[in-house]
Amino acid sequence: MSKLVSSDGRTHIASPLMRESLVDRKVIAKTHSERELAILPDVVLVGIGGQSIFDRGREGLLPVAEEITALRTRPIATRPRIVIGVGGGTRVRHTISIALDLGLPTGGVAQLVGAMEEANAVFLNALLAKHGSIVMQREHFWELPLYLESGMLPIVISIPPYHFWEPPPEGGPLPAHGSDFGLFIHAEVLGMRRIIFVKDEDGLYDKDPKKHSDAKRFERVTLEALLANLPEELILDRLLFTCWRTARHVREVQIVNGLKPGQLTRALAGEPVGTIIVKEAP
Amino acid sequence: MTRKVIESALAGSTLTSSAIENFSYDPTAMMPDVKVLKMGGQSLMDRGRAAVFPVLDEIVAVKDQYKLLICCGGGTRARHVYSVASDLELPTGVLAALGGYVPRQNARMLQMLLARHGGIFIMHDDFEKLPLYFRLGCIPIMTGMPPFGYWEKPTENGRIPQHRTDAGVFLSAEVLGARRAIFIKDEDGLYEDDPKKNPKAKLLPRVSARELLKMDLPDLILERIVIEYLTRAHFCKELQIVNGLVRGMVTRALAGEDVGTIIHAD
Repeated sequence: MSKLVSSDGRTHIASPLMRESLVDRKVIAKTHSERELAILPDVVLVGIGGQSIFDRGREGLLPVAEEITALRTRPIATRPRIVIGVGGGTRVRHTISIALDLGLPTGGVAQLVGAMEEANAVFLNALLAKHGSIVMQREHFWELPLYLESGMLPIVISIPPYHFWEPPPEGGPLPAHGSDFGLFIHAEVLGMRRIIFVKDEDGLYDKDPKKHSDAKRFERVTLEALLANLPEELILDRLLFTCWRTARHVREVQIVNGLKPGQLTRALAGEPVGTIIVKEAP
Repeated sequence: MTRKVIESALAGSTLTSSAIENFSYDPTAMMPDVKVLKMGGQSLMDRGRAAVFPVLDEIVAVKDQYKLLICCGGGTRARHVYSVASDLELPTGVLAALGGYVPRQNARMLQMLLARHGGIFIMHDDFEKLPLYFRLGCIPIMTGMPPFGYWEKPTENGRIPQHRTDAGVFLSAEVLGARRAIFIKDEDGLYEDDPKKNPKAKLLPRVSARELLKMDLPDLILERIVIEYLTRAHFCKELQIVNGLVRGMVTRALAGEDVGTIIHAD
């Protein structure tokens, strides 16, 4: 039985953090651990780009959907266990343009953008429903193991639920916590080791390959090397990389080209297609 | 094979380039006249009736003069949850989700006490109905925790979530466009050291967020990340810390007096 302590006018429950200030660095450091529990370590998160794949309509999306469907023909035991996330794309950009022009606060902008992603989740679910897909509502977070155990294909909303409470950004009015970051943190909290982002480029380049013909692609790069020289234009949210620095579980982020049939399947099989960013174990 | 793009100022953008910093932006405050108040968890709620009732009396006495949004802290039960969760090696995001239960309980307790004065418990999803609640003369009461939950970032060198109830209170004030957020605690304000452990600690009546960050104090009365956010806030430029155990402080703070400590953006 836990003990109640009330000698100072407050009633405390005896615990190592009792009476402590949770702002005190020494107290925070006491809770540090390198052995954090990995909740669903063997699941791979697959993020499908909004602008890069969904906005291309059937030509972009159907081949990716077919690759995912093909995985479903394997027996349950040999199928890769995946959770799918979707981005919002051009409608998100349009939403933000209008919202900023109207002078909505950053938190207000963050409150709006998730709806455009949800539409993409519904598109994908309509295509994959007969193969067992299901859109996971946030409040059903802990049903993920149920979906996976029963061989279903969960589709999650990528944007994190920061909503009105989006922190003030470091520069400019855009919410910093976008969908790539949201998927990253989703994988991290569940102890997943790998994330695969399906985009419309062969991987991560040192500058935007759509604008610069001399852009150089990274094949395999460490997070540390990348952070030391982070490109100005990125294929993934900047915050994903800075947050990854303090993360415990995610080891590998792979970026593949969804417009090239077979790349996703090969990445799921562990092949080094596209760009692989790795975090070295501490 | 082309992208079906809607023309807009951000069409085709990766949304990651700093080039969009030049985007013309003139934000509008949603409800600048709302007073966002935080009821401390460990500092007030865990003291029970002796501390809570006098503060509520002060709030009830002025409730028709202001639009009040009350947000609750967690306290010792949250500390117990974090202790057990750490012992079980659970990640920060799970701690943040678990830490959400306690301030919600506290908010429900306050709602029961304030029900006859219009106290109404609201969830994050009810935030857009605030204008209605104020028009009806209600006192909306909610958790101070922001809704990040499982999506909370891993904490460097530790695993206590960085965004807890102080962060939620500040962020609520910021998005509403309120200039000041008021934190009701059990100390006269911010000290250079923890006054509960060091009785000689000096009170700082007014300090800028940058000065405070530069002092790099080992401990603070508010979550560190809130001080960082204050330096780049658009609307919420001041955090006021007052002692709820001293009669009249809450009333004076609501009237706009600079009692306690004011931490301000430069």
